[in-house]
Amino acid sequence: MKKIDDIIASALTGDKACTSRLISLVERDDEQAPYIMRQLYPFSGKAYYIGITGAPGAGKSTTVDKLVKMFCKNGKNVGVIAVDPSSPFSGGALLGDRVRVNIKKTEYNYFFRSMSSGNIMGGLSRTTKEAARILDACGKDIIIIETVGVGQSELDVAKATDTVVVILTPESGDGVQIMKAGLIEVADIFVVNKCDRPGAENIAHALKGMLDRIDYRLSWKPPIIKTSASLNKGVDTLYEGLGEHRRYLNCDKKIKQRRQRQIREELKRNIETEFIKTILSDIYNGNDFGKALDNVCEHRIDPQNAARQIVTAWLSKDMQPSEKWAKGV
Amino acid sequence: MLETRQVRNQSPPECLFSEEHVKQIKANYQDWFDNSLRDADRESEGKYFTHSGIPIKLIYTPADIDHLNYTEDIGFSGHPPYLRGVYPNMYRGRFFTVRQLAGLGAPEDCNERVCYLLDHGATGISILFDLPTVRGYNSDDPEAEGNVGACGAAVDSIWDIDAFFKDIDLGTASTNIVTHLPSTSLVIPAMYFAVAEQRGTPWTSVAGTCQNDFIMETCVGSAPEILPPQASFRMQCDVIEWVCKNIPRWNPVSYNGYNLREAGTDAVGEVGTAIANAMATADELIRRGMKIDDFAPRMSFFWDLHNDFFEEIAKCRASRKVWYQLMKERYNAQKPKSLLMRFHVQTAGVTLPATEPLNNVARSAFQGMAAVLGGCQSLHIDSYDEAYSAPTEEAALLSLRTQQILQAETGICSTVDPLAGSYYVEYLTDQMVQRIWDHINKIEGMGGLVKAVEDGWLHREISTYNMDYQKKIESGEMKIVGVNFQVAAEKETKAIEVYEYPETYSRQKTKLEKLRKERSSTKVQECLDALKDACHREENLVPHCLEAVKNLVTLGEIEETFREEFGLWAFPLL
Amino acid sequence: MERKIRVVMAKLGLDIHWRGVYLVSQFLKDSGMEVIYLGNKFPEQIVEAAVEEDADVIGLSSLGGSHLTLGPKVVRLLKERGLDHIKVFMGGVMAPKDARSLEEEHGIAKVYLPDTPMQVIIDGIRSTVALA
Repeated sequence: MKKIDDIIASALTGDKACTSRLISLVERDDEQAPYIMRQLYPFSGKAYYIGITGAPGAGKSTTVDKLVKMFCKNGKNVGVIAVDPSSPFSGGALLGDRVRVNIKKTEYNYFFRSMSSGNIMGGLSRTTKEAARILDACGKDIIIIETVGVGQSELDVAKATDTVVVILTPESGDGVQIMKAGLIEVADIFVVNKCDRPGAENIAHALKGMLDRIDYRLSWKPPIIKTSASLNKGVDTLYEGLGEHRRYLNCDKKIKQRRQRQIREELKRNIETEFIKTILSDIYNGNDFGKALDNVCEHRIDPQNAARQIVTAWLSKDMQPSEKWAKGV
Repeated sequence: MLETRQVRNQSPPECLFSEEHVKQIKANYQDWFDNSLRDADRESEGKYFTHSGIPIKLIYTPADIDHLNYTEDIGFSGHPPYLRGVYPNMYRGRFFTVRQLAGLGAPEDCNERVCYLLDHGATGISILFDLPTVRGYNSDDPEAEGNVGACGAAVDSIWDIDAFFKDIDLGTASTNIVTHLPSTSLVIPAMYFAVAEQRGTPWTSVAGTCQNDFIMETCVGSAPEILPPQASFRMQCDVIEWVCKNIPRWNPVSYNGYNLREAGTDAVGEVGTAIANAMATADELIRRGMKIDDFAPRMSFFWDLHNDFFEEIAKCRASRKVWYQLMKERYNAQKPKSLLMRFHVQTAGVTLPATEPLNNVARSAFQGMAAVLGGCQSLHIDSYDEAYSAPTEEAALLSLRTQQILQAETGICSTVDPLAGSYYVEYLTDQMVQRIWDHINKIEGMGGLVKAVEDGWLHREISTYNMDYQKKIESGEMKIVGVNFQVAAEKETKAIEVYEYPETYSRQKTKLEKLRKERSSTKVQECLDALKDACHREENLVPHCLEAVKNLVTLGEIEETFREEFGLWAFPLL
Repeated sequence: MERKIRVVMAKLGLDIHWRGVYLVSQFLKDSGMEVIYLGNKFPEQIVEAAVEEDADVIGLSSLGGSHLTLGPKVVRLLKERGLDHIKVFMGGVMAPKDARSLEEEHGIAKVYLPDTPMQVIIDGIRSTVALA
């Protein structure tokens, strides 16, 4: 077994197997994960992050496959993280996004990783972000994070990128449903895929009507791009649209502000998580908890009052940084 | 049609049994059920199902088919609704075609096997191709590695089709070219027609079938590269349109229920999906200006004969009736031949386990018998060793002999549709008719078959079916002798001889090198440019393919053009 | 929570029969493994996928007669890249003597012929990964 420092060093020079192993360790919330991120984070921040989200079957993977080829042709080094749901029954997952990865005739500089949302120990958005940063640190120029756009945590993942692409299809429902799903707020670019199908005009029209009602004078107005990814139609327009949004962000340091906002949120969230985790582990490992448990079991005190007593006792204790806390710092 | 009316006039429609008679039977049935059966028997009612999930009762009586009337619902063979068979005299007139598969190694090896089978009394030949050919790659493409000449013949150019049929008269042979995909059905039959032309055999005497089914490309077989459903469907229609106008004795499509069934569906899904495909084709060809009677007589079908003996017989009978109803009521077809569903049957390869392979001889024989009782026009009986490899010569001969035993010794060919009137068989047939229609209507409701495929509906159906089927095997609910039922204590299975594919790659490579030297590269480029152009116009692709193969353009080159022009598509499975 | 076994499942090359490989993938998923399903891929792509996905196991399906060429090629490519820890399993239609040769001479961890119960495959993968 290689030492962790060797793995990190190799990954930083572009070794795929080592990069891949680092992602696994972070994904499993291995005890070395904080160390890995501590080493790699300073190398990250150079890549451009794109979030792609949409309902199952909207054509995300096909779109990603085509986009990746275009980026690669233009000499970019691309990383993709595709997140799919896992089975709620077994915890297992069947991850199929690679079926659509069809790069065979040319050697591209390209790294694709599948993740199952249910098996991520450190939380979905944290782990995808960390995996993306590993790819970033290991030299990828463009990072695409692909998630199924159902549920808040998946949307959060997409939101934490520089450009968010929301993929709709003629089957996506009407404007009201799109609005309710919270997509208007997150999208920087709308794609209406399967545009050769009946209903594509309708959805594009409804979407346009909705965007027209919003005042975009001081901000970016999301374009609506029609594609048929499987027929390779319109993907070049999407590619240009991504470039345009990037130019928009680069002007007046908007990208810096956007990232700062995201990092602020991320940092706050991590503080909350760490805070709660640390205090709870301190409490659960302490003597008071065991005693209280006995008391409640023996019906000497009710659970509600027992909990209050424990928290009050903990607050009045002298604050000692727990061992676990120290480990990460 | 005149004849039909006469029959009807002579005997006005009436139910099979009188109302009074049925009433009496129902009363007696109840009495029998209550008093003659044991509790355990009564409790077993509702627990037996056919393979497709139709509930099976302990006993069937006239009361189960009291709504049927003979003339309208069953009728005579060769008469509407053709339930009992497409020809009045059925097998007394002509036996089913004994069709055995040939295809392995290089075309020269196949030629030997074809001649062997014809010498032993086979009356038709199905030719199979290796995977690179099926998927449209030349033998020397890197993608073809390890597959050249395996499971079928390698075909790269018109030279190979010429070699395959060396010393065989294309004017008398009946050849089933198992191309599977529309894209290769544009090319390989074109090679066959071009060879016929070069040998001076007129196209009017060339007879056969090609498979040409877009479901094969988009649902049944997976592949690294798949054309989008719309493109594949258009090619399917191009082949049918062109052949109907130019090769009078060729069936340009065999709607392949077989491979869909093998991939994972029940009898209802098999027939319903194939007919839905025929409907989609008919609608498209009518849009292109053809009339239903121009092409319906050339449509043929290909069924899988699975284990459930009576249900499979009912399926064969029901499929003819559904076709008749469809042609008559929806398309108002006029020619009698348009109303006839003719089908080829192959026994179910998926039912043949590798464990105790000789048991498969018995399985296939029963399945073959059901196909004949179902009134098929041609039959292929699988060989017992298919779970290991393509059949050895010995195994292929045994299959051929099984067919001959069915024809000559069992006596089942002496009368038409001998199971008609069986309460159970008629009940099942009626159920199958209804369920096939339900399936067709469901697909219609989704916007037609092409859309259902694009949306992944069919893929999900297949995958759900397979999961359920496997669970039934694992739980023992589905019994397979020797595998999960009556398993031999001694696991030592008798070793059988397994067919070894002849080395093919180097032979094909040499031929391709020679071909590339001999042909005109300007001409090749011209052909490919014209083809490329036609892909984007509403124009039939067959003439361009014909021109290309005559100018020694290879299969792989034509297919690569399609892949580039139409783009690729992936299974919407996950 | 124990660590999930990651399996890369692929259909070898041009072989068209997806029924078996997809079915096995579903059963592995239901047994709690993470299955990365590739569809049809060639040995180079399969190895690349296994690297990027940090797979423990590669499962190959072959019913098209290419088992003796493309199967060993996957093992060879893994070895060349120093990834011997990734175990390769195969399933499909082939002569029993070919299966033996794949296991004994070509470094395939195990070949499952038709009629193998799913639980046997699941247990086989689990015990092989546990030993590694």
